Amino acid sequence: MLYTRRDAMRLEKCWFCSSTIYPGHGIQFVRNDAKIFRFCRSKCHKNFKMKRNPRKVKWTKAYRRLHGKDMTQDSTFEFERKRNRPERYDRNLAENTLKAIKKIDKVRSDRAATHIEKRLKVRKGKERREAQKELEQSIHLVKAPQVLRQDQSLTLPKIKVVVSQPKSEQNQAMEE
Amino acid sequence: MLTSINLVTFSALVYLLWPSLFSSLMATRLQFENNCEVGVFSKLTNAYCLVAIGGSESFYSTFEAELADVIPVVKTSIADTRMIGRLCAGNKNGLLVPHTTTDQELQHLRNSLPDQVVVQRIDEKLSALGNCIACNDHVALAHTDLDRVLTSTVVCNFHQETEEIIADVLGVEVFRQTIAGNILVGSYCAISNRGGLVHPHTSIEDLDELSTLLQVPLVAGTVNRGSEVIAAGMTVNDWTAFCGSDTTATEVSVIESVFKLREAQPSAIVGEMRKSLIDGYV
Repeated sequence: MLYTRRDAMRLEKCWFCSSTIYPGHGIQFVRNDAKIFRFCRSKCHKNFKMKRNPRKVKWTKAYRRLHGKDMTQDSTFEFERKRNRPERYDRNLAENTLKAIKKIDKVRSDRAATHIEKRLKVRKGKERREAQKELEQSIHLVKAPQVLRQDQSLTLPKIKVVVSQPKSEQNQAMEE
Repeated sequence: MLTSINLVTFSALVYLLWPSLFSSLMATRLQFENNCEVGVFSKLTNAYCLVAIGGSESFYSTFEAELADVIPVVKTSIADTRMIGRLCAGNKNGLLVPHTTTDQELQHLRNSLPDQVVVQRIDEKLSALGNCIACNDHVALAHTDLDRVLTSTVVCNFHQETEEIIADVLGVEVFRQTIAGNILVGSYCAISNRGGLVHPHTSIEDLDELSTLLQVPLVAGTVNRGSEVIAAGMTVNDWTAFCGSDTTATEVSVIESVFKLREAQPSAIVGEMRKSLIDGYV
């Protein structure tokens, strides 16, 4: 029997949205020039077939990085690069690497969160100032709800209509 | 009685001819699971030997019997395939594997090979490196269409030609060449540090040109009963050669003579050297 190893798992990145592709998901497309495109789901695959540029599609990582929405340059990205020159296996090194992976991941996500926080903080101050200004300038447009209720021109007059319905013979029978 | 034997010369000569003292008297004929294309399923260099994983151990055993004491013989796969000889290119300084090599295979190679051999995976569109690169320890012939500007995914992430990577990893001078009009130089010639065998239809001018480039004597010949794909049919290093069992005796003798494998027992060497060593009889 053919003896081939099938334990070559590798978590790849989607070409379109840059999310991780786990084993058993997605489609790989190999172009005639031998370039491989991996997609995490049919959404990305179909966008690719429509020849959309991921840098222009708002929900992709490529767009977010390009437009400064997400963190672009950080030393933690260096750890994730694909390496083509391996080192001899060393158990201690492997153990330390596994521990380090967790730490680095935490550091990276914290830094990414602060990046977004910083970006949004600017907007908060601006919103506050705008709200303040609007309060000062346009407060006269606002009327209190009590006043609105009492003002005759704004509300429709309430008309009370008495409705009497004779009770039919059938209904009486059902009630009993 | 002998007046003087130059001890330094003697030991120097023995050092130079050391590999041949281990030599088989002839190139070994073998098969990989009934297939005579030995060069497809194995990669032989002066520092290591890679062997494909076969159904039976006979292929591996033959290599082991010849080489086990001298160099490591490593069973491996590349890109989950068994045609490792055609996918990777290497010499005693390094080994180049294609981008399709899995991480586990790469790590296995790195663990099994000696430290002075640099194992490198390269992103090259032409991923059958064994067909595109023919090399010995000093010089390499490369496919003319190898990538020119290539992003190397080493940590520094700089652009580098494949040719430069070959020169860097294998420690060789690289020439983009064709052999008898074929661009797949790695498959149509087999070269070692002492000689080379090329495609039978190579013209004499081409042979001379290649010979001057490679600085080794070249012969146009065949292997496996007239197969033109030399490197697929045989694999060679400085002191041994392995070829398919279909190889005729004539072809084997050509191989032995061009790669200088016919160095016989140590006594014969000493016999030949005797005249140059001994100054005179008393």
